[in-house]
Amino acid sequence: MSSATATAPRRRRLTLSRRRQLAGAVFALPAIGLVLGFIVVPIGQAVYYSMTQWDGVSSTWIGPSTWNQALHNPTLWTALRNNALLLLSVPFALGLPLAIAVLLHQRVAGWRIFRSIYFLPTAISWVVLGLVAQRFFAYQGTLNSIIHFFGFSHTNTNMLGYESTALSALGITFIFTMVGTNTMLFLTGLATLDPSLEEAARIDGAGRWRIFRYITLPHLSRFIQLAFVMTVIALFSALFSLIFVMTGGGPGYATTTMEFLIYQTGFNQGDFGTAALYGLILFILTAIVGVVQLRLIGADE
Amino acid sequence: MTTPLLERPPGREGPATAPRPGRRRVRTGRAALFVIMLGVAVVMLYPFWVMIFDSLKTEAQFLAGKGFSLGSWKALNSVIPVGQQVLSSTIICCASIIVIVLIGLPAGFAFSKLRFRTSTLIFLVIVSAMMVPLQAILMPEFVNITKLGLTSGYFGAVIVYAALGTPFSVFLFTTYFRGVPDELIEAGIVDGLGYFGVLWRLVVPIAVPAIATVTVLQFIQIWDDLLVGLLFIQNTSQRPITVGLAVLSAGRTTSIPELMAGSFISALPAMLVYLGFQRYLVKGLTMGIDR
Amino acid sequence: MAEITFDGVTKIFGDDVRAVDDLTLHVADGEFMVLVGPSGCGKTTALRMLAGLEEITSGTLSIGGTIVNDVLPKDRDVAMVFQNYALYPHMSVAQNMGFALKVRHESKDEIARKVGEAAAILRLTDYLDRRPKALSGGQRQRVAMGRAIVRSPQAFLMDEPLSNLDAQLRVEMRLEIARIQRLLGVATVYVTHDQIEAMTMGDRVAVMRGGQLQQVDTPQDLYDHPANEFVAGFMGSPPMNLLRGGLENGADGAVVVLGAQRLAVPPRYNASHDLGLGGAVVVGIRPEDVEVLSGAEVAGSITTRVERREALGAEILVHLSLLDAEGTSAFVVNDAGAVVTRPSTLVAKMGPRAEVRVGDTLRVRFNPERFHFFAADSGVSLRQA
Repeated sequence: MSSATATAPRRRRLTLSRRRQLAGAVFALPAIGLVLGFIVVPIGQAVYYSMTQWDGVSSTWIGPSTWNQALHNPTLWTALRNNALLLLSVPFALGLPLAIAVLLHQRVAGWRIFRSIYFLPTAISWVVLGLVAQRFFAYQGTLNSIIHFFGFSHTNTNMLGYESTALSALGITFIFTMVGTNTMLFLTGLATLDPSLEEAARIDGAGRWRIFRYITLPHLSRFIQLAFVMTVIALFSALFSLIFVMTGGGPGYATTTMEFLIYQTGFNQGDFGTAALYGLILFILTAIVGVVQLRLIGADE
Repeated sequence: MTTPLLERPPGREGPATAPRPGRRRVRTGRAALFVIMLGVAVVMLYPFWVMIFDSLKTEAQFLAGKGFSLGSWKALNSVIPVGQQVLSSTIICCASIIVIVLIGLPAGFAFSKLRFRTSTLIFLVIVSAMMVPLQAILMPEFVNITKLGLTSGYFGAVIVYAALGTPFSVFLFTTYFRGVPDELIEAGIVDGLGYFGVLWRLVVPIAVPAIATVTVLQFIQIWDDLLVGLLFIQNTSQRPITVGLAVLSAGRTTSIPELMAGSFISALPAMLVYLGFQRYLVKGLTMGIDR
Repeated sequence: MAEITFDGVTKIFGDDVRAVDDLTLHVADGEFMVLVGPSGCGKTTALRMLAGLEEITSGTLSIGGTIVNDVLPKDRDVAMVFQNYALYPHMSVAQNMGFALKVRHESKDEIARKVGEAAAILRLTDYLDRRPKALSGGQRQRVAMGRAIVRSPQAFLMDEPLSNLDAQLRVEMRLEIARIQRLLGVATVYVTHDQIEAMTMGDRVAVMRGGQLQQVDTPQDLYDHPANEFVAGFMGSPPMNLLRGGLENGADGAVVVLGAQRLAVPPRYNASHDLGLGGAVVVGIRPEDVEVLSGAEVAGSITTRVERREALGAEILVHLSLLDAEGTSAFVVNDAGAVVTRPSTLVAKMGPRAEVRVGDTLRVRFNPERFHFFAADSGVSLRQA
């Protein structure tokens, strides 16, 4: 064996496995660069700038006391409270789609067309949906027409105009925007359910509710988890378009969420340092949800 | 609302195999089901109904609540440069998607089939980046892009969209290629290809469904986005349509019919893409937990 | 076309997993060599090293006299047929077959001609425009073959190419592949775990186990003269019966003591075998060489009881246990530390009409021409070279 090694010409060329690794590194490099340069590095920068006085051009080092100061800002807590209150819409953003998906799964005549219709709003920009929602909640909007139709002709609402109701209107709009995506997820989940399972349960004498409770729902649990994570992430980071066109964060700070506060602090008040700090708080919040998501993916592999 | 609906008979069981007698009850149930679904459909179609009917009025007709006119459609282009903004949206979308696919596909191939030292760790970092919302890094990102002088054209927006979309596309391509047998790559190697040849002549053609999924999801995401276009494109004449609408709506004297007409136009391309490629969309959403 | 030589080739995965251990094997030009063994025996690794898909840890590997240790797969001029065929899904049958030629920049006419010829040999002419998806399993297998054939390579490498086919098709393709290989006369290394494929297809068969080569020989010689217990047990179905016993000197020569019974060793083996008396030994006898006697006791026979009975139509397999002095069944050897797990019973083949029931007591005799002896500790055949 050793003599064979000795006689073989041992040129240190690029062997196949070295070529494979080299090719792998080269192919992955652009993605690594892009993510590093435009996502990872900015997180680091944000940590630094969060402790400075920064207007986007020049920064002055202040130190960790900025965090202390920021955490005593009542507006931050208003935004966080708004985010927390909006979480109340999540059960609806999951429950309604679940019900709709189960309905669609019954394959009533024309269910394919219904499916396409239900998903269609998913394609529309939240900017547009926000504009439409504004029409719905407006003083002369559809909501009041419906109320009048049911005979309360002297009742007029203007949900977006009052601090007490604006956030609810935003939440309702959010639920509407999530219906399509989540229904799609659940319907996919239902389609992967082996019909023979249901049949077996029926032969065993289980009623519809029991079949749903003990067969369908457990089967959907992974899909419900995924929908939950996606909905919460959207709640933290995708409401900007809705808020921008519907309320501009108002009245007062009634509909200012974390992400909108970041935008306002940075671009309306020019306080880049505090905005960067708020960004990090949002980052921590989503990271918590992200860990859940990674668990989900991790469980699959 | 959930409980009573679930009491309806499951459709696929059909009258023939239904263990319970009572064809009429099944039929009544199905009719009720149909009505409920129709109701849901009306709610889901509401935005389109608003856009179409409110846009087919003049400002005066809108305030009066009756009458129809094509006036706001005719005047639309003088209020906002719809054509130009749709073009901007298209350019930004296409450029971003090309970058996202060009960067994500080889990386996905590398992470699934060409493992190199530390590739697992790097993959985890990239996938984790999927969770980072733009707002979290908005300030440094904005300053970086501005300092690089990229906000004067489309480049800044395209780079930001590409950076935000790449982690997802890397994840999706990696998952997709894991389902491709290693032997296919090896067959190419034995047939005389190098790894670049394998990528270009075997992997890319096989990845067409995954490319379609990434394209559709990213198209809808980018087309519908507001924040990046708002901040990273300084030139008003290069604004995408969502920014145009949002800015228009913020104006005090905006005519609602014109706004709705513009909204409808902006919604059209994403809707068409969506209707045409629905199945790729579903595939992409459930990637990783499907099967 | 060329010969292939493995010279002390070793593959170590990670730090200490010896997938292939010091493999020395010569495949002559035009020869059909089958590498056979249980899963994990290193046969596929050996093939992948030959293809260039796996690096060689030590030793030398040469094709056509050239050492190819550091040569990339594309420069080795070998074609490989994969277990799952690895057909390119986005290409037609013709494109699949011509791809390697296209990569090597051969002219379109040349590619078309070669693909046409190969398709004719494989009876694929009518399917050239189809995609792999639209083909049956057997057709896909033929396309995979075709992809190898068109290249007229120095060697064909086949990795369990028939394992994804159903039983009937496998028999058909077995003959087909052998036919094509003879027709083209290209040296072929064929990996399989199926000893029937090995027996029927190979000019020679190399049996591997645990990374080590056990024996290389023609199928018949492997069957008739297995070099060790493992080969004896692996080749042939049902496998050879292996009985452990003590070797003693009896009145008429050597005797193997099997529990309470004594089996006389025919005198001819004293000359040809290294039968050191007084030690433990394993006697091997193939099921077809176990003769069931009727009537009176004959010299050299042993008493057994039928434990199981499998009627296969053309024959009946009976599983027998040796009886001890009290007439109770004593299950034969099955020592845990043995080189191979020896079956605890003896299998014999009987005619389809034989009247035999579970629980019957049978006297059997072993064909005196067909005894095998193996060392009890190492499992190596005691036959002298």
